[in-house]
Amino acid sequence: MRLRAVSAFAILAWLFFPFIFAVVGLYVFARPGAANPQLIYGILGGGLIGYWGVAYLDGGLTIQDERWNGTLEQVFAVPTPLWVILLGKVCGSILWGMLSFVPTVAVAYFGFHALVPHLDSVRFAVSFAVLTFSLLTIALALAPLYALWRWALPMFNGFEFGFCILGGFMFPVTLLPGWAQGVAGALAPTWATRALYASTTSSGPHDFALWWLAAAGLSVLYLAGALFLYRLVDRRARMTGELALA
Amino acid sequence: MNRIGAEAAVFTRSVYLQYIALFQWATLRGYIGYKVLLPVTQILFFVELGVYGTGRQNALYFALGNALQVTAQAGLYGTIATVANERHFGTLPILLASPANRLVTFLSRAIVNVLDGIVTVLFGLGVTVVVFGLDLHHANLWLLGICVLLISLTTAGLGLLFGSLGLIMRDAITIANVVYYLLLVLCGINFPINRLPGAVQVISYGLPLTRGVDAARQAAAGASIDHVAGLLVGELVVGALYALCGYTLFRWLESHARRGGLQDAY
Repeated sequence: MRLRAVSAFAILAWLFFPFIFAVVGLYVFARPGAANPQLIYGILGGGLIGYWGVAYLDGGLTIQDERWNGTLEQVFAVPTPLWVILLGKVCGSILWGMLSFVPTVAVAYFGFHALVPHLDSVRFAVSFAVLTFSLLTIALALAPLYALWRWALPMFNGFEFGFCILGGFMFPVTLLPGWAQGVAGALAPTWATRALYASTTSSGPHDFALWWLAAAGLSVLYLAGALFLYRLVDRRARMTGELALA
Repeated sequence: MNRIGAEAAVFTRSVYLQYIALFQWATLRGYIGYKVLLPVTQILFFVELGVYGTGRQNALYFALGNALQVTAQAGLYGTIATVANERHFGTLPILLASPANRLVTFLSRAIVNVLDGIVTVLFGLGVTVVVFGLDLHHANLWLLGICVLLISLTTAGLGLLFGSLGLIMRDAITIANVVYYLLLVLCGINFPINRLPGAVQVISYGLPLTRGVDAARQAAAGASIDHVAGLLVGELVVGALYALCGYTLFRWLESHARRGGLQDAY
C-alpha cells in the first residue's frame, strides 16, 4: 500500500479515471430539474470502473512488478509461500481501489447535487463485499497470466472498455445483444455489479441470492484457474529459470 | 537550396529512424490490443452509454465523437512516447550531442504518429459506419478528410508539448493518460461543451479537437468548407501554438538538462 501511495499510475487509477468517467456519465445522464433513475449509473459507474481498473491492472501486475524490478528471484527464494506474498500485494491494491468511489460520489454530490437514492444498505454492503471478492480473485488469476504470456497485458489493456461494457459498470448489460449478455455472464463482477445497482432501486428484479451465488461461484472457478497458473509460474521460475528472462 | 535539401534529408531519416527505434509497441499483438480493440471498444462503450442515457436516436453523436477522439491515442500517447522514450532508452545524450537541426528533429517525431492517427480514426469511422450505420451519403467527405488530417496534426502538436516534459520526467506516459481522458470531457466528444461551466469552456476552446470535432460533425452532415472554415483555422492555430510551445519547452529543457547533467538521469 505504501508503494501505491507514491505511484502516479495508482493515483490515476483510483482518483483520476473514476472522476473522468463520473463526469462524463453524470453529464450524459443528468436531467436538470428531474429525477432520473439512470443517474445512479453516473454516480457509481466511475467508481466501479476505477475499482475494476485497479484490480485487473494494478493487482494483476503483482508478479510482473517483481520481474521488472529485478526482485522476482528473491520472492521465490524466501520461505514464505508465493501465494501469501501475492495475496498481500493484491489486497493492498484492492484496498486502494475502494477509494475509487470517493471522487465519483464527491463529484456527483458537489457538482450535480446527486445522491444515491433508495439504498438498501445491507444488500448494498453484501453486494460490495461479493464484488470485492470477485475482483480479488480476478487479480490473483491475472497475475500469473500476465507473467506467463506477455501478449496478455496488451490484450487486456486494449479490451479495457470491453470489460466495462460486459461488466455493466455504467449501463445495464440487458442493453447488449443476447450473445454479449452470454459472454458477460461468465464474468463474476457482472453479477455483483447487477446486485449492487439493484440494491439502490426498488424497481426491477431483485434476485440477490442468485446473483451473489453466481458471482461467488465464478470467483471460485477463477481461483482454481489461478492455482493451475501459479504451478506453471513456479515451474518456469524454479525449474527452467525462464521466467525472469521472459 | 542545398541547405533545405540537407534538412529535408535529416527530417526523412529522422522520421524513418524514430519509427524503427521508438515504435516498440507496434508488434502484431500490440497493434491488435491498442489500435484495434481499444478504439472499437471505446466507441462501443460510449455509444451504449449515450443510448442508455439519451436514447438510440443519439447513437451517431457518440459514435462520431469517439471515432474522431481516438486519433488522440496516436497524437498523444505516440508522440509523447516518441519524445520521452529517448531518455527512457538512454539515447538522449547522443541526441543532444548531435549537430542535427533541433526543429527538424523535433517535428519529425510527430509525423509517423500523425499518419498512425489518421489510420486509427479511419478505422474508428469504419466501425461507426458498419456497426452504427453512420450514413455518409450526404457527407462532405473531402472536408471530413481535411478535419481528420487536421485533428491528427493538432493532437500531435499537443503531444509534442507534453512529450518535451518527458525530458525531465520519469513517467511522461502518465501525462498522456491524464490529457487523453481530459479530452473526453472537455472537447465535446460525448456532450456539447456549452453544458460545461463558462470557465471550463474557455479551456475547451484552448484545446485541440474541440473545433475539429465540431467541424467534422458538420462535414458529416454535409456542410461546405465555408461553414466550417473558421473552426478549421482555429483548430490549426491551436495545434500550431502547442507545437511551438512544445519546441520552446524542448529547447529550454534541453539547456536545463545539459546544465544539470540530467540527460541520462533516470
